[in-house]
Amino acid sequence: MSVATGDPGRQRATRGEFAIAGAVAGFLAGAAVVVVLVRQGMVDTMAAGPGPDVVGVLVLLVGATVTGAACGWVTQPEALPAAVSGGLLFGLLGWICWWLTALPLVLGVSPTWSATQAGEVFPYLIGSILHGGATGVLLYLLVDRLPRKVPVPPPSEGVPPRVLVIGGGFAGVAVARRLERLSARGLRVDVTLVSESNYLLFTPMLAEVASSAIQATHIASPVRASCPLTRFRRGTVDAIDLERRVVQVSASHTGETDHLEYDQLVIALGSEPNYLGLAGVAEHSFSLKSLSDATRLRNHTLTLLDRAEGECDADERRRLLTFVVAGGGFAGVEMAAELFDFVHGVRRYYPVIGPDDPRFVLVHPRDRILPELSTELAAYAQRRLEARGIEFLLGRRVAGAGAGFVILDGQEVVGTETLVWTAGTQPNAALAALAVDKNRAGALKVDATLAVPGVAGLWAAGDCAEVPDLDRDGAPHPPTAQHALREGKALADNIAAVLRGEEPSPFRFRAIGTLVALGRRTAAAEIRGHRFSGLLAWLMWRAIYLGKLPGIEKKVRVLLDWGIEEAFPRDTVVTASAEVGPVEPSAVLS
Amino acid sequence: MTSALDVDQDRTGHGRGVAAHPGVLGAIAGIVGGAAFGAAMADLGALPSVASIVRADSPSVGLAVHMTIAALVGAGFGLLMANQRQDASDTLFWGLSYGAAWWFLGPLTLLPFLTGRPPAWDLAAAQRAVPSLFGHLLFGVVTALALAVLRRTGDRPRVAWRPAVTMGELSRGALAGAFAALGIALLVPDNLSPAAALGGTGWGRTLAVGVLVGVGFAFLSPHPPERGGPALVRGSAYGFLWWVMGTLTLVPLLSGDGLAWSLEATRERFPAFPGLILLASTAGVWFSWLGRAATALFSDDVRRAEGEGPGTRGLRAIGRGVLAGLAGGLVFTVLMIQIGYLPTVARLVGAGSPSAGLVVHLLISLVIGVSYALLFRGRSFDSGSALGWGVTYGFLWWVLGALTLLPLLLGGQPQWNVTAVVATFPSLVGHLAFGGALGLTYRRLETASGPWWISRTDGEAAQAFERRQLALGSAPAVWALVVLMAVTVPLIIA
Repeated sequence: MSVATGDPGRQRATRGEFAIAGAVAGFLAGAAVVVVLVRQGMVDTMAAGPGPDVVGVLVLLVGATVTGAACGWVTQPEALPAAVSGGLLFGLLGWICWWLTALPLVLGVSPTWSATQAGEVFPYLIGSILHGGATGVLLYLLVDRLPRKVPVPPPSEGVPPRVLVIGGGFAGVAVARRLERLSARGLRVDVTLVSESNYLLFTPMLAEVASSAIQATHIASPVRASCPLTRFRRGTVDAIDLERRVVQVSASHTGETDHLEYDQLVIALGSEPNYLGLAGVAEHSFSLKSLSDATRLRNHTLTLLDRAEGECDADERRRLLTFVVAGGGFAGVEMAAELFDFVHGVRRYYPVIGPDDPRFVLVHPRDRILPELSTELAAYAQRRLEARGIEFLLGRRVAGAGAGFVILDGQEVVGTETLVWTAGTQPNAALAALAVDKNRAGALKVDATLAVPGVAGLWAAGDCAEVPDLDRDGAPHPPTAQHALREGKALADNIAAVLRGEEPSPFRFRAIGTLVALGRRTAAAEIRGHRFSGLLAWLMWRAIYLGKLPGIEKKVRVLLDWGIEEAFPRDTVVTASAEVGPVEPSAVLS
Repeated sequence: MTSALDVDQDRTGHGRGVAAHPGVLGAIAGIVGGAAFGAAMADLGALPSVASIVRADSPSVGLAVHMTIAALVGAGFGLLMANQRQDASDTLFWGLSYGAAWWFLGPLTLLPFLTGRPPAWDLAAAQRAVPSLFGHLLFGVVTALALAVLRRTGDRPRVAWRPAVTMGELSRGALAGAFAALGIALLVPDNLSPAAALGGTGWGRTLAVGVLVGVGFAFLSPHPPERGGPALVRGSAYGFLWWVMGTLTLVPLLSGDGLAWSLEATRERFPAFPGLILLASTAGVWFSWLGRAATALFSDDVRRAEGEGPGTRGLRAIGRGVLAGLAGGLVFTVLMIQIGYLPTVARLVGAGSPSAGLVVHLLISLVIGVSYALLFRGRSFDSGSALGWGVTYGFLWWVLGALTLLPLLLGGQPQWNVTAVVATFPSLVGHLAFGGALGLTYRRLETASGPWWISRTDGEAAQAFERRQLALGSAPAVWALVVLMAVTVPLIIA
């Protein structure tokens, strides 16, 4: 009795073996019961009435065999008592299925499942119970005693293919999560994910963190909790050796380097700010790509309010309270709106600061903001924000920045302590050394299956990849979160297909819509060609993004944050200093 | 695993037993069980029928034959339990199931065969053999307890009797039983109260019965404690045990009426059956919940706290429970349409149309699905266990729903009587089908969306370990016993 009882020295029977053994056991036990029934002259009744005995016997034996196979398939008993119990259970359920349900239907009678009907077939209940118990015993003995047809897998099959995912953004985590699902369904794969941070950041809500509407950690899901079956390495990718199939990683906490081998590599490193080589911008601006960026901006804003409160010079106070946002895309517009709400929302605690002291400027090189939205909605967004007092400098560019000022093209100097940079991104710098085909921005060119052409086992998705849209003649999919998520899932499916020896499928996705929040109670949205604005769009924005936020716990926390915001003022506690070092304007202009 | 009669055990649940062959131990235990059964047979005058196996009719010959058979059957039980957990509570439920199975195999099949008669498989013969059914259950219980004791005696016999259950657990059991008894007493009329089930009346006796049942459950509860769902199912089998050993055996014996094992006496005392099932299963859930509440409130060791907390996994489970409940509800709907039961369900909301009934039915299914998810999440290690939990949970909802809540909500009294059981037999079948579909669907969803049992390093081994622990415990015995009882008791008393 060693196999079914889990002797580690012998391999456990497969599910198919259990089913076959169950079928044999069911047939043998059924034959014994049939003998009793035939001797009692009870086979006529059970064989659908008027039929001959031989048909009845055959029907019974087939039923007994099927019941036994189902019992083996479902219960896969570990021990003899459990096998008998499982058999009894299946005997009873089989009696209900056949004698109370199927047989009346075969006879052309509606099943009533009544006690009267059940009483009429009571003898077969006892027969079924005994059949089930005997099937359990035989099933266990057969599985335990019969020789294994399936050999113990060779050691080479014991090492699953290694999939290395670099990048813990939407695409990378989506790949890992999907592979975990597939793993639960039988895919043998060993997944490792490398990321600089140990969380998946939900970037659409980052502006609300910067404006103190949401607690910072509430929009970040820990990767270890999101992907419990994936090996997680926190570190920075230093180099990728495509020939040797090795990635060099520096641990985030110690700086120690390690070399990770892979069979399949997924590059999902995302993007980073692109300062376009503008003088002083990288040093004197706030980007909005990480939690620390958002909390730094929040602390900086609150510090400026404190400084302005103590400032006697009205011009200097106005300079301190001037906020410049570079870039009129989603991130820039949402950030400008949120900063406006934040500053004016907490201004009551700074009595010296007047309602006209804060100034908000959005600089955008094109003639209209929000190019992803329709002209009408973009104009609506601009109107609503201008009505509140946000200035739009369209057709203008930031040319440089220093401590206390921003230089616009045309050499105009705007006095400010705050420049938020959302005007450009570029693929991760680690890809620069990679000898594969890239686009002008540096993103990896992949084919429709998300594989990098010419390099076996190399895949890419998300902002660092240029993915052709087959429905738009190969034009690239936009680098948005919803695309990255879908690309990640499709990529994992394609890896699974390749590992199974199947053909990968091309990625197809039609964007559901776009939404932009415009601060308090206002948003603009386009969903499947339908346009929404105002309060309805704002509610849609919150509902949709709350739904997209990973993890139930985080959803609850953000929902509570939003609820608290309705009842209480935003938090003005400064948690860390966020000062920028002084630089003279002349140094930048020269 | 430890229980009331446990001594030192290693981590696999195997205690330090004597080295005797399990068959021998089982035979001795069988003789003890056979003595109890034999006494009952003597009281019922059934020994001559056993003597007919050797073509005799003397009671003494019958007793000798009976004891011989008991030793053989007990030896089989000992062999069957050789690799199982050795504590008394698990062995007890296996003994109950074993006894029930032998009723079908022995007096209904082998005894007629050995005496040259046809198998007694028809309903009338089974009804005539009802006293024998309870005798077999008594045999199973006594044999199991004797075996549990025998396997722990030998090297340290004195220590073997030291109860492993703590005063805290006994108090918790008493409290759980009291809560359960009060809850049921508030729901049902006096003649159906827990006190009435054991031949008493009044709130004091109700509380006393609850405390008794709860303390007994604490004795039979495994260590580490079960979650709410498994405790609920174990409680239902425990309630059946109380009905057989309390209502039908001890109470009439103590009152001098003799064993109430006849068909008529069983029918007369049937109203106690649903009550005790509900009382014991509710006590089981309370026992589990109170234990977890105590851990949550008073344990200062975070390692004892529940993994990710109820919020994360509980909310996920609710979502899966909704879907699984709807799947089970759809299966039940087919049966409801066939028997025209939907208008009855519609009356719950003051309507009478089948469509309204369908909506109400699916909503109820959804709620039951969610409750299943919260009670049984993470407890289905394979399809077999999913089916076991689901079907037994479906039976409980037949007792609670069809026999109790539905009549109450329609303005009547709980229908804990033979007539109602006969009338709602189709509903019983539907509830079993509902439970099966619910359990299998929930397991499928749980597996697909979060194979919770797989850790990063030793996933499949962990799953295999949990599945094996379940098989070595009494859960399979409880499933089989509950379903046997669910199907056969209503038919036999009908």
